[in-house]
Amino acid sequence: MKLKAKGKIQIGVLLLPGLLIFGLFTVYPIVRLFIMSMTKWDFGSFANQELIGFANYMEVLTDKDFHVVFGNTIIYTLITVPGQMILGLLIALLINSLLRGQIPFRVAYYLPVITSWVIASLVFKYVFNTEGLLNYFLCNVIHLSKQNIHWLDTRWGGMAVAMLLGTWKGIGWNMVVFLAALQTVPLELYESAALDGANSWHKFFDITIPSIRGTILFALVMLTIGGFNVYTSIKLITDGKPGHQTDVVLTWMYYKAFSAGKFGYAAALSFIIAIVLAILAVIQFRLMENKE
Amino acid sequence: MKKRTLSQIIILLILIAGVVVVVLPMIYMVSTSLKPNGALYEYPPRFFPKLDEITLENYQYILAQKKFIRNFINSLFVSIVTVTVSAIVSSALAYCIARFRFPGRTVLFAFIILTMIIPGMTMIIPQYELAVKLGTINRLGGLIPFYVAWVIPYSTFMIKGFVENIPRELDEATYMDGGSVFTVYFRIVLPLAKPGIASVSIFNFLTAWEEFPWANTVINDDFKRTLPIAISGFFGQHQFTQWGYVFALSVLSLLPILIVFIACQKFFVAGLTSGSVKG
Repeated sequence: MKLKAKGKIQIGVLLLPGLLIFGLFTVYPIVRLFIMSMTKWDFGSFANQELIGFANYMEVLTDKDFHVVFGNTIIYTLITVPGQMILGLLIALLINSLLRGQIPFRVAYYLPVITSWVIASLVFKYVFNTEGLLNYFLCNVIHLSKQNIHWLDTRWGGMAVAMLLGTWKGIGWNMVVFLAALQTVPLELYESAALDGANSWHKFFDITIPSIRGTILFALVMLTIGGFNVYTSIKLITDGKPGHQTDVVLTWMYYKAFSAGKFGYAAALSFIIAIVLAILAVIQFRLMENKE
Repeated sequence: MKKRTLSQIIILLILIAGVVVVVLPMIYMVSTSLKPNGALYEYPPRFFPKLDEITLENYQYILAQKKFIRNFINSLFVSIVTVTVSAIVSSALAYCIARFRFPGRTVLFAFIILTMIIPGMTMIIPQYELAVKLGTINRLGGLIPFYVAWVIPYSTFMIKGFVENIPRELDEATYMDGGSVFTVYFRIVLPLAKPGIASVSIFNFLTAWEEFPWANTVINDDFKRTLPIAISGFFGQHQFTQWGYVFALSVLSLLPILIVFIACQKFFVAGLTSGSVKG
Protein backbone atom coordinates (compact mmCIF):
# COMPACT_ATOMS: atom_id res chain seq x y z
CA MET A 1 0.00 0.00 0.00
CA LYS A 2 1.17 3.53 -0.81
CA LEU A 3 1.83 5.60 2.24
CA LYS A 4 1.95 9.36 2.40
CA ALA A 5 4.87 11.21 3.97
CA LYS A 6 2.89 11.47 7.22
CA GLY A 7 2.58 7.70 7.33
CA LYS A 8 6.31 7.25 6.87
CA ILE A 9 7.06 9.65 9.70
CA GLN A 10 4.63 7.80 11.95
CA ILE A 11 6.29 4.46 11.17
CA GLY A 12 9.61 6.08 12.05
CA VAL A 13 8.20 7.35 15.35
CA LEU A 14 6.92 3.86 16.22
CA LEU A 15 10.23 2.21 15.32
CA LEU A 16 12.55 4.72 16.93
CA PRO A 17 12.34 3.82 20.67
CA GLY A 18 12.71 0.10 20.01
CA LEU A 19 15.57 0.57 17.56
CA LEU A 20 17.39 2.90 19.96
CA ILE A 21 17.14 0.57 22.97
CA PHE A 22 17.79 -2.62 21.00
CA GLY A 23 20.59 -1.01 19.02
CA LEU A 24 22.42 0.58 21.94
CA PHE A 25 22.00 -2.14 24.57
CA THR A 26 22.09 -5.30 22.42
CA VAL A 27 23.43 -4.81 18.90
CA TYR A 28 26.26 -2.46 19.89
CA PRO A 29 27.45 -4.81 22.69
CA ILE A 30 27.56 -7.73 20.22
CA VAL A 31 29.78 -5.73 17.86
CA ARG A 32 31.88 -4.52 20.80
CA LEU A 33 32.17 -8.10 22.06
CA PHE A 34 33.62 -9.17 18.74
CA ILE A 35 36.22 -6.38 18.84
CA MET A 36 37.08 -7.20 22.47
CA SER A 37 37.59 -10.84 21.55
CA MET A 38 40.33 -9.73 19.15
CA THR A 39 41.99 -7.49 21.71
CA LYS A 40 44.74 -8.13 24.22
CA TRP A 41 42.98 -6.82 27.28
CA ASP A 42 43.50 -7.86 30.86
CA PHE A 43 44.20 -6.20 34.19
CA GLY A 44 47.84 -5.73 33.17
CA SER A 45 47.13 -4.04 29.84
CA PHE A 46 44.31 -1.61 30.53
CA ALA A 47 46.20 1.32 29.03
CA ASN A 48 47.21 -0.19 25.71
CA GLN A 49 44.67 -2.55 24.22
CA GLU A 50 46.13 -3.87 21.03
CA LEU A 51 44.42 -5.93 18.38
CA ILE A 52 45.85 -9.46 18.35
CA GLY A 53 43.58 -11.24 15.87
CA PHE A 54 42.43 -14.68 16.88
CA ALA A 55 45.03 -15.28 19.61
CA ASN A 56 42.37 -15.18 22.35
CA TYR A 57 40.35 -17.79 20.50
CA MET A 58 43.41 -20.04 20.29
CA GLU A 59 44.04 -19.55 24.01
CA VAL A 60 40.45 -20.54 24.85
CA LEU A 61 40.37 -23.55 22.55
CA THR A 62 43.68 -24.96 23.82
CA ASP A 63 42.91 -24.27 27.50
CA LYS A 64 42.49 -27.49 29.54
CA ASP A 65 40.10 -25.74 31.96
CA PHE A 66 37.93 -24.73 29.04
CA HIS A 67 37.72 -28.37 27.93
CA VAL A 68 36.44 -29.32 31.39
CA VAL A 69 33.79 -26.56 31.55
CA PHE A 70 32.71 -27.11 27.95
CA GLY A 71 32.42 -30.84 28.68
CA ASN A 72 30.33 -30.05 31.76
CA THR A 73 28.00 -27.87 29.69
CA ILE A 74 27.58 -30.55 27.02
CA ILE A 75 26.89 -33.23 29.63
CA TYR A 76 24.45 -30.93 31.45
CA THR A 77 22.60 -30.35 28.16
CA LEU A 78 22.70 -33.99 27.03
CA ILE A 79 21.18 -35.16 30.33
CA THR A 80 18.72 -32.41 31.27
CA VAL A 81 17.21 -31.90 27.81
CA PRO A 82 16.01 -35.49 27.20
CA GLY A 83 15.21 -35.81 30.91
CA GLN A 84 12.84 -32.86 30.89
CA MET A 85 11.30 -33.80 27.56
CA ILE A 86 10.58 -37.42 28.48
CA LEU A 87 9.18 -36.63 31.92
CA GLY A 88 7.24 -33.62 30.60
CA LEU A 89 5.74 -35.66 27.77
CA LEU A 90 4.88 -38.53 30.12
CA ILE A 91 3.07 -36.21 32.52
CA ALA A 92 1.34 -34.44 29.61
CA LEU A 93 0.09 -37.83 28.32
CA LEU A 94 -1.23 -38.76 31.76
CA ILE A 95 -2.93 -35.40 32.29
CA ASN A 96 -4.36 -35.51 28.77
CA SER A 97 -5.99 -38.87 29.45
CA LEU A 98 -7.69 -37.59 32.60
CA LEU A 99 -11.40 -37.14 32.03
CA ARG A 100 -11.65 -34.35 34.61
CA GLY A 101 -9.46 -32.33 36.95
CA GLN A 102 -6.67 -31.46 34.52
CA ILE A 103 -6.19 -27.85 35.66
CA PRO A 104 -4.94 -28.43 39.24
CA PHE A 105 -2.23 -30.79 37.95
CA ARG A 106 -1.20 -28.32 35.29
CA VAL A 107 -0.80 -25.62 37.92
CA ALA A 108 1.06 -27.87 40.39
CA TYR A 109 3.56 -29.22 37.86
CA TYR A 110 4.20 -25.69 36.63
CA LEU A 111 5.18 -24.33 40.06
CA PRO A 112 8.93 -25.11 39.72
CA VAL A 113 9.02 -23.18 36.43
CA ILE A 114 7.87 -19.94 38.05
CA THR A 115 10.12 -20.41 41.08
CA SER A 116 13.17 -18.22 40.53
CA TRP A 117 16.55 -19.84 39.83
CA VAL A 118 18.00 -18.19 42.91
CA ILE A 119 15.40 -19.64 45.26
CA ALA A 120 15.36 -23.10 43.64
CA SER A 121 19.17 -23.27 43.79
CA LEU A 122 19.25 -22.38 47.48
CA VAL A 123 16.62 -24.99 48.33
CA PHE A 124 18.62 -27.68 46.51
CA LYS A 125 21.83 -26.53 48.17
CA TYR A 126 20.13 -26.86 51.55
CA VAL A 127 18.67 -30.30 50.83
CA PHE A 128 21.97 -31.69 49.45
CA ASN A 129 24.14 -30.17 52.17
CA THR A 130 26.48 -32.73 53.73
CA GLU A 131 24.58 -32.34 57.01
CA GLY A 132 21.31 -31.87 55.12
CA LEU A 133 18.01 -33.64 55.02
CA LEU A 134 18.78 -35.98 52.12
CA ASN A 135 21.91 -37.45 53.70
CA TYR A 136 20.04 -37.95 56.95
CA PHE A 137 17.32 -39.76 55.03
CA LEU A 138 19.81 -41.94 53.10
CA CYS A 139 21.97 -42.85 56.13
CA ASN A 140 19.63 -42.94 59.10
CA VAL A 141 16.18 -43.66 57.68
CA ILE A 142 16.60 -46.07 54.76
CA HIS A 143 20.26 -46.99 55.51
CA LEU A 144 21.39 -46.83 51.88
CA SER A 145 24.69 -45.22 52.79
CA LYS A 146 26.99 -45.68 55.79
CA GLN A 147 28.22 -42.11 55.93
CA ASN A 148 27.11 -38.69 54.70
CA ILE A 149 27.72 -38.23 51.00
CA HIS A 150 29.63 -35.06 50.09
CA TRP A 151 27.30 -34.15 47.22
CA LEU A 152 28.59 -30.64 46.71
CA ASP A 153 32.32 -31.31 47.15
CA THR A 154 32.97 -33.46 44.07
CA ARG A 155 32.72 -32.80 40.35
CA TRP A 156 30.03 -35.35 39.59
CA GLY A 157 28.16 -34.84 42.85
CA GLY A 158 27.86 -31.12 42.19
CA MET A 159 26.98 -31.63 38.55
CA ALA A 160 24.36 -34.23 39.49
CA VAL A 161 22.64 -31.80 41.86
CA ALA A 162 22.66 -29.02 39.23
CA MET A 163 21.30 -31.41 36.57
CA LEU A 164 18.60 -32.67 38.91
CA LEU A 165 17.60 -29.06 39.60
CA GLY A 166 17.60 -28.21 35.88
CA THR A 167 15.40 -31.20 35.08
CA TRP A 168 13.04 -30.59 38.01
CA LYS A 169 12.61 -26.95 37.02
CA GLY A 170 11.95 -27.67 33.34
CA ILE A 171 9.40 -30.50 33.48
CA GLY A 172 6.45 -28.10 33.86
CA TRP A 173 7.32 -26.09 30.76
CA ASN A 174 7.56 -29.27 28.66
CA MET A 175 4.31 -30.54 30.15
CA VAL A 176 2.40 -27.39 29.08
CA VAL A 177 3.94 -27.30 25.61
CA PHE A 178 3.32 -31.01 24.95
CA LEU A 179 -0.18 -30.88 26.41
CA ALA A 180 -1.10 -28.16 23.91
CA ALA A 181 0.36 -30.26 21.09
CA LEU A 182 -1.44 -33.43 22.20
CA GLN A 183 -4.75 -31.59 22.11
CA THR A 184 -4.26 -30.87 18.40
CA VAL A 185 -3.87 -34.55 17.43
CA PRO A 186 -7.13 -35.59 15.64
CA LEU A 187 -9.06 -38.15 17.71
CA GLU A 188 -10.19 -39.97 14.55
CA LEU A 189 -6.63 -41.20 14.04
CA TYR A 190 -6.76 -43.05 17.36
CA GLU A 191 -10.25 -44.38 16.69
CA SER A 192 -9.39 -45.88 13.33
CA ALA A 193 -6.18 -47.33 14.78
CA ALA A 194 -8.23 -48.92 17.56
CA LEU A 195 -10.47 -50.50 14.91
CA ASP A 196 -7.34 -51.96 13.31
CA GLY A 197 -6.49 -53.50 16.66
CA ALA A 198 -3.51 -51.27 17.51
CA ASN A 199 -2.40 -51.33 21.14
CA SER A 200 -1.36 -48.31 23.20
CA TRP A 201 2.32 -48.61 22.28
CA HIS A 202 1.55 -48.64 18.57
CA LYS A 203 -0.79 -45.67 18.95
CA PHE A 204 1.90 -43.75 20.79
CA PHE A 205 4.74 -44.43 18.37
CA ASP A 206 2.74 -44.45 15.11
CA ILE A 207 0.29 -41.61 15.78
CA THR A 208 1.22 -39.44 18.76
CA ILE A 209 4.95 -39.02 18.15
CA PRO A 210 4.68 -38.23 14.39
CA SER A 211 1.81 -35.81 15.05
CA ILE A 212 3.73 -33.76 17.61
CA ARG A 213 7.11 -33.92 15.84
CA GLY A 214 7.09 -30.15 15.24
CA THR A 215 6.64 -29.48 18.94
CA ILE A 216 9.34 -31.97 19.90
CA LEU A 217 11.84 -30.15 17.68
CA PHE A 218 10.70 -26.76 18.98
CA ALA A 219 11.28 -27.97 22.55
CA LEU A 220 14.65 -29.40 21.54
CA VAL A 221 15.83 -26.04 20.17
CA MET A 222 14.58 -24.06 23.18
CA LEU A 223 15.97 -26.50 25.75
CA THR A 224 19.39 -26.73 24.09
CA ILE A 225 19.64 -22.94 24.33
CA GLY A 226 18.49 -23.27 27.95
CA GLY A 227 21.18 -25.88 28.69
CA PHE A 228 23.93 -23.53 27.54
CA ASN A 229 22.31 -20.71 29.55
CA VAL A 230 22.80 -22.41 32.89
CA TYR A 231 24.53 -20.02 35.28
CA THR A 232 22.71 -19.16 38.50
CA SER A 233 22.32 -22.73 39.80
CA ILE A 234 26.03 -23.56 39.37
CA LYS A 235 27.06 -20.16 40.75
CA LEU A 236 24.99 -20.54 43.91
CA ILE A 237 25.23 -24.31 44.51
CA THR A 238 28.91 -25.10 43.88
CA ASP A 239 30.44 -21.85 42.54
CA GLY A 240 32.58 -24.10 40.36
CA LYS A 241 34.15 -25.92 43.32
CA PRO A 242 36.20 -28.06 43.74
CA GLY A 243 38.81 -26.21 41.65
CA HIS A 244 36.88 -25.28 38.49
CA GLN A 245 35.61 -28.84 38.18
CA THR A 246 31.89 -27.97 38.21
CA ASP A 247 32.04 -24.72 36.24
CA VAL A 248 30.01 -24.41 33.04
CA VAL A 249 30.83 -22.10 30.14
CA LEU A 250 28.97 -19.07 31.51
CA THR A 251 30.26 -19.29 35.11
CA TRP A 252 33.77 -19.81 33.69
CA MET A 253 33.41 -16.81 31.38
CA TYR A 254 32.19 -14.69 34.31
CA TYR A 255 35.08 -15.84 36.49
CA LYS A 256 37.63 -15.13 33.77
CA ALA A 257 36.27 -11.61 33.19
CA PHE A 258 35.32 -10.33 36.62
CA SER A 259 37.66 -12.29 38.92
CA ALA A 260 40.72 -13.07 36.79
CA GLY A 261 40.46 -9.88 34.71
CA LYS A 262 41.07 -11.67 31.40
CA PHE A 263 38.57 -9.69 29.35
CA GLY A 264 39.95 -10.67 25.95
CA TYR A 265 39.82 -14.38 26.82
CA ALA A 266 36.30 -14.05 28.25
CA ALA A 267 35.06 -12.14 25.21
CA ALA A 268 36.45 -14.79 22.85
CA LEU A 269 34.81 -17.48 24.99
CA SER A 270 31.47 -15.63 24.83
CA PHE A 271 31.72 -15.43 21.08
CA ILE A 272 32.52 -19.14 20.82
CA ILE A 273 29.40 -19.97 22.88
CA ALA A 274 27.29 -17.74 20.64
CA ILE A 275 28.66 -19.38 17.49
CA VAL A 276 28.16 -22.92 18.83
CA LEU A 277 24.53 -22.13 19.71
CA ALA A 278 23.85 -20.44 16.38
CA ILE A 279 25.19 -23.51 14.53
CA LEU A 280 23.17 -25.90 16.71
CA ALA A 281 20.02 -23.82 16.17
CA VAL A 282 20.50 -23.76 12.39
CA ILE A 283 20.97 -27.56 12.33
CA GLN A 284 17.87 -28.08 14.43
CA PHE A 285 15.78 -25.64 12.36
CA ARG A 286 16.89 -27.47 9.19
CA LEU A 287 15.81 -30.76 10.74
CA MET A 288 12.46 -29.19 11.54
CA GLU A 289 11.94 -28.00 7.95
CA ASN A 290 12.97 -31.33 6.42
CA LYS A 291 10.66 -33.36 8.59
CA GLU A 292 7.58 -31.27 7.84
CA MET B 1 -17.01 -48.94 32.06
CA LYS B 2 -15.50 -50.34 35.21
CA LYS B 3 -12.15 -50.85 33.54
CA ARG B 4 -12.15 -47.20 32.53
CA THR B 5 -12.79 -46.01 36.09
CA LEU B 6 -9.94 -48.18 37.34
CA SER B 7 -7.48 -46.78 34.80
CA GLN B 8 -8.58 -43.25 35.69
CA ILE B 9 -7.84 -43.94 39.34
CA ILE B 10 -4.39 -45.36 38.52
CA ILE B 11 -3.52 -42.32 36.37
CA LEU B 12 -4.74 -40.04 39.15
CA LEU B 13 -2.56 -41.82 41.71
CA ILE B 14 0.56 -41.63 39.51
CA LEU B 15 -0.05 -37.93 38.89
CA ILE B 16 -0.55 -37.24 42.59
CA ALA B 17 2.66 -39.11 43.45
CA GLY B 18 4.47 -37.02 40.81
CA VAL B 19 3.09 -33.77 42.21
CA VAL B 20 4.28 -34.74 45.71
CA VAL B 21 7.82 -35.30 44.41
CA VAL B 22 7.77 -32.08 42.38
CA VAL B 23 6.48 -29.80 45.13
CA LEU B 24 8.51 -31.44 47.93
CA PRO B 25 11.36 -28.89 47.73
CA MET B 26 8.85 -26.02 47.88
CA ILE B 27 7.12 -27.49 50.93
CA TYR B 28 10.47 -27.97 52.61
CA MET B 29 11.30 -24.33 51.94
CA VAL B 30 8.04 -23.16 53.53
CA SER B 31 8.39 -25.53 56.50
CA THR B 32 11.98 -24.40 57.13
CA SER B 33 10.90 -20.78 57.08
CA LEU B 34 8.41 -21.59 59.86
CA LYS B 35 10.97 -23.21 62.17
CA PRO B 36 12.77 -21.23 64.85
CA ASN B 37 16.14 -20.19 63.45
CA GLY B 38 18.07 -22.21 66.06
CA ALA B 39 16.39 -25.46 65.06
CA LEU B 40 17.99 -25.37 61.61
CA TYR B 41 21.23 -26.81 62.88
CA GLU B 42 19.51 -29.35 65.03
CA TYR B 43 20.25 -32.99 64.47
CA PRO B 44 18.40 -34.95 63.21
CA PRO B 45 16.96 -32.63 60.55
CA ARG B 46 13.20 -32.82 60.26
CA PHE B 47 11.00 -32.25 57.25
CA PHE B 48 8.23 -30.60 59.25
CA PRO B 49 8.60 -28.53 62.42
CA LYS B 50 6.89 -29.84 65.54
CA LEU B 51 3.47 -28.27 65.88
CA ASP B 52 4.40 -26.33 69.01
CA GLU B 53 7.59 -24.89 67.49
CA ILE B 54 5.97 -23.34 64.42
CA THR B 55 6.83 -19.67 64.52
CA LEU B 56 6.69 -16.55 62.40
CA GLU B 57 9.87 -15.11 63.91
CA ASN B 58 11.80 -15.36 60.62
CA TYR B 59 9.10 -13.36 58.87
CA GLN B 60 8.99 -10.83 61.70
CA TYR B 61 12.76 -10.36 61.41
CA ILE B 62 12.60 -9.87 57.63
CA LEU B 63 9.65 -7.48 57.74
CA ALA B 64 11.28 -5.42 60.49
CA GLN B 65 14.33 -4.73 58.31
CA LYS B 66 13.98 -1.55 56.28
CA LYS B 67 16.38 -2.79 53.61
CA PHE B 68 14.30 -5.84 52.71
CA ILE B 69 11.19 -3.70 52.33
CA ARG B 70 13.24 -1.48 50.02
CA ASN B 71 14.47 -4.53 48.05
CA PHE B 72 10.88 -5.61 47.57
CA ILE B 73 9.83 -2.16 46.33
CA ASN B 74 12.94 -2.02 44.10
CA SER B 75 12.04 -5.32 42.44
CA LEU B 76 8.45 -4.25 41.98
CA PHE B 77 9.52 -0.91 40.45
CA VAL B 78 12.08 -2.41 38.07
CA SER B 79 9.73 -5.21 36.97
CA ILE B 80 6.70 -2.99 36.38
CA VAL B 81 8.64 -0.35 34.40
CA THR B 82 10.39 -3.07 32.37
CA VAL B 83 7.07 -4.73 31.54
CA THR B 84 5.38 -1.45 30.57
CA VAL B 85 8.20 -0.09 28.42
CA SER B 86 8.81 -3.40 26.65
CA ALA B 87 5.09 -3.88 25.94
CA ILE B 88 4.89 -0.49 24.19
CA VAL B 89 8.23 -0.74 22.37
CA SER B 90 7.88 -4.38 21.29
CA SER B 91 4.30 -4.07 20.07
CA ALA B 92 5.31 -1.03 17.98
CA LEU B 93 8.25 -2.96 16.51
CA ALA B 94 6.10 -6.03 15.89
CA TYR B 95 3.42 -3.95 14.15
CA CYS B 96 5.93 -2.24 11.84
CA ILE B 97 7.74 -5.48 10.97
CA ALA B 98 4.47 -7.31 10.31
CA ARG B 99 2.83 -4.61 8.20
CA PHE B 100 5.41 -2.38 6.47
CA ARG B 101 8.52 -2.71 4.35
CA PHE B 102 11.14 -0.24 5.54
CA PRO B 103 14.90 -0.07 4.99
CA GLY B 104 16.76 -2.43 7.31
CA ARG B 105 13.68 -4.52 8.10
CA THR B 106 15.38 -7.81 7.20
CA VAL B 107 18.52 -6.96 9.16
CA LEU B 108 16.45 -5.99 12.20
CA PHE B 109 14.49 -9.23 12.08
CA ALA B 110 17.68 -11.26 11.65
CA PHE B 111 19.17 -9.63 14.74
CA ILE B 112 15.97 -10.35 16.69
CA ILE B 113 16.20 -14.06 15.84
CA LEU B 114 19.96 -14.13 16.50
CA THR B 115 19.65 -12.57 19.95
CA MET B 116 16.92 -15.05 20.86
CA ILE B 117 19.41 -17.84 20.25
CA ILE B 118 22.55 -16.62 22.01
CA PRO B 119 22.58 -16.44 25.82
CA GLY B 120 22.06 -12.89 27.07
CA MET B 121 24.90 -13.38 29.53
CA THR B 122 27.51 -13.69 26.78
CA MET B 123 27.12 -9.92 26.31
CA ILE B 124 27.77 -9.10 29.95
CA ILE B 125 31.31 -7.76 29.42
CA PRO B 126 30.51 -5.17 26.71
CA GLN B 127 27.27 -4.34 28.54
CA TYR B 128 29.21 -3.75 31.73
CA GLU B 129 31.57 -1.45 29.83
CA LEU B 130 28.55 0.36 28.39
CA ALA B 131 26.99 0.76 31.84
CA VAL B 132 30.24 2.27 33.11
CA LYS B 133 30.32 4.72 30.18
CA LEU B 134 26.68 5.70 30.71
CA GLY B 135 27.18 6.03 34.47
CA THR B 136 24.42 3.55 35.33
CA ILE B 137 26.54 1.34 37.60
CA ASN B 138 24.97 0.98 41.05
CA ARG B 139 21.78 2.74 39.96
CA LEU B 140 18.49 0.92 40.25
CA GLY B 141 16.97 2.65 37.21
CA GLY B 142 20.04 1.65 35.22
CA LEU B 143 18.86 -1.96 35.24
CA ILE B 144 15.74 -1.14 33.23
CA PRO B 145 17.13 -0.36 29.73
CA PHE B 146 19.22 -3.55 29.84
CA TYR B 147 16.23 -5.66 30.89
CA VAL B 148 14.06 -4.06 28.19
CA ALA B 149 16.74 -4.75 25.58
CA TRP B 150 16.94 -8.39 26.70
CA VAL B 151 13.20 -9.04 26.42
CA ILE B 152 12.60 -7.08 23.18
CA PRO B 153 13.56 -9.94 20.79
CA TYR B 154 11.27 -12.58 22.30
CA SER B 155 8.44 -10.12 22.93
CA THR B 156 8.58 -8.68 19.41
CA PHE B 157 8.72 -12.15 17.86
CA MET B 158 5.68 -13.36 19.83
CA ILE B 159 3.56 -10.21 19.37
CA LYS B 160 4.38 -10.20 15.64
CA GLY B 161 2.68 -13.60 15.41
CA PHE B 162 -0.46 -12.17 16.96
CA VAL B 163 -0.41 -9.06 14.73
CA GLU B 164 -0.12 -11.24 11.61
CA ASN B 165 -3.34 -12.95 12.62
CA ILE B 166 -5.25 -9.65 12.54
CA PRO B 167 -7.00 -9.35 9.14
CA ARG B 168 -5.45 -6.63 6.95
CA GLU B 169 -8.95 -5.54 5.91
CA LEU B 170 -9.28 -3.87 9.31
CA ASP B 171 -6.20 -1.73 8.52
CA GLU B 172 -7.56 -0.88 5.07
CA ALA B 173 -10.93 0.12 6.46
CA THR B 174 -9.26 2.41 8.98
CA TYR B 175 -7.22 4.10 6.25
CA MET B 176 -10.39 4.52 4.14
CA ASP B 177 -11.99 6.32 7.06
CA GLY B 178 -9.06 8.74 7.06
CA GLY B 179 -7.12 6.98 9.83
CA SER B 180 -3.33 7.04 10.00
CA VAL B 181 -0.62 4.53 10.92
CA PHE B 182 -1.03 5.65 14.53
CA THR B 183 -4.80 5.12 14.40
CA VAL B 184 -4.29 1.52 13.25
CA TYR B 185 -1.74 0.94 16.00
CA PHE B 186 -3.92 2.31 18.80
CA ARG B 187 -7.40 1.28 17.59
CA ILE B 188 -6.67 -2.07 15.89
CA VAL B 189 -3.29 -3.57 16.79
CA LEU B 190 -3.15 -2.84 20.51
CA PRO B 191 -6.69 -4.03 21.33
CA LEU B 192 -6.60 -7.13 19.10
CA ALA B 193 -3.07 -8.27 20.02
CA LYS B 194 -3.84 -7.82 23.72
CA PRO B 195 -3.71 -11.55 24.60
CA GLY B 196 -0.25 -11.80 23.03
CA ILE B 197 0.98 -8.64 24.75
CA ALA B 198 -0.43 -9.89 28.05
CA SER B 199 1.27 -13.26 27.80
CA VAL B 200 4.71 -11.85 26.95
CA SER B 201 4.26 -9.29 29.72
CA ILE B 202 3.88 -12.06 32.28
CA PHE B 203 7.14 -13.62 31.09
CA ASN B 204 8.86 -10.24 31.10
CA PHE B 205 7.69 -9.64 34.67
CA LEU B 206 9.10 -13.01 35.71
CA THR B 207 12.38 -12.28 33.89
CA ALA B 208 12.90 -8.91 35.55
CA TRP B 209 11.68 -10.18 38.95
CA GLU B 210 14.13 -13.07 39.13
CA GLU B 211 17.10 -11.68 37.17
CA PHE B 212 20.31 -12.44 39.06
CA PRO B 213 23.67 -12.20 37.22
CA TRP B 214 23.36 -8.68 35.85
CA ALA B 215 21.89 -7.02 38.95
CA ASN B 216 24.44 -8.88 41.07
CA THR B 217 27.22 -7.45 38.91
CA VAL B 218 26.19 -3.80 38.69
CA ILE B 219 24.44 -3.11 42.03
CA ASN B 220 26.44 -3.21 45.25
CA ASP B 221 24.46 -1.01 47.61
CA ASP B 222 22.18 -2.88 50.09
CA PHE B 223 19.33 -0.44 49.59
CA LYS B 224 19.48 -0.49 45.79
CA ARG B 225 19.41 -4.26 45.48
CA THR B 226 16.59 -6.25 43.98
CA LEU B 227 15.17 -9.29 45.79
CA PRO B 228 17.23 -12.09 44.18
CA ILE B 229 20.43 -10.26 45.13
CA ALA B 230 19.15 -9.66 48.65
CA ILE B 231 18.32 -13.37 49.03
CA SER B 232 21.70 -14.56 47.76
CA GLY B 233 23.33 -11.83 49.89
CA PHE B 234 22.73 -13.93 53.00
CA PHE B 235 25.72 -15.99 51.90
CA GLY B 236 29.17 -14.71 52.64
CA GLN B 237 27.91 -11.83 54.77
CA HIS B 238 27.47 -13.96 57.85
CA GLN B 239 29.68 -16.58 59.38
CA PHE B 240 26.99 -19.18 58.98
CA THR B 241 23.90 -19.04 56.81
CA GLN B 242 20.63 -18.27 58.53
CA TRP B 243 18.46 -20.49 56.41
CA GLY B 244 15.27 -19.49 58.22
CA TYR B 245 15.72 -15.89 57.05
CA VAL B 246 16.76 -17.00 53.55
CA PHE B 247 13.62 -19.04 53.07
CA ALA B 248 11.27 -16.54 54.73
CA LEU B 249 12.47 -13.88 52.28
CA SER B 250 12.23 -16.43 49.44
CA VAL B 251 8.61 -17.25 50.28
CA LEU B 252 7.76 -13.54 50.43
CA SER B 253 9.40 -12.95 47.06
CA LEU B 254 7.46 -15.81 45.47
CA LEU B 255 4.08 -14.37 46.49
CA PRO B 256 3.77 -11.71 43.73
CA ILE B 257 4.75 -14.30 41.13
CA LEU B 258 2.14 -16.74 42.41
CA ILE B 259 -0.51 -14.01 42.34
CA VAL B 260 0.38 -12.99 38.78
CA PHE B 261 0.55 -16.63 37.68
CA ILE B 262 -2.80 -17.66 39.13
CA ALA B 263 -4.57 -14.47 37.99
CA CYS B 264 -3.22 -14.72 34.42
CA GLN B 265 -3.12 -18.51 33.92
CA LYS B 266 -5.15 -18.23 30.73
CA PHE B 267 -2.62 -15.90 29.04
CA PHE B 268 0.29 -17.94 30.33
CA VAL B 269 -0.67 -21.02 28.38
CA ALA B 270 -1.68 -19.02 25.29
CA GLY B 271 1.76 -17.41 25.14
CA LEU B 272 3.66 -20.63 25.63
CA THR B 273 1.81 -22.62 23.06
CA SER B 274 1.30 -20.14 20.22
CA GLY B 275 4.99 -20.41 19.37
CA SER B 276 5.23 -24.16 19.63
CA VAL B 277 2.16 -25.46 17.83
CA LYS B 278 2.75 -23.24 14.83
CA GLY B 279 6.44 -24.02 14.76
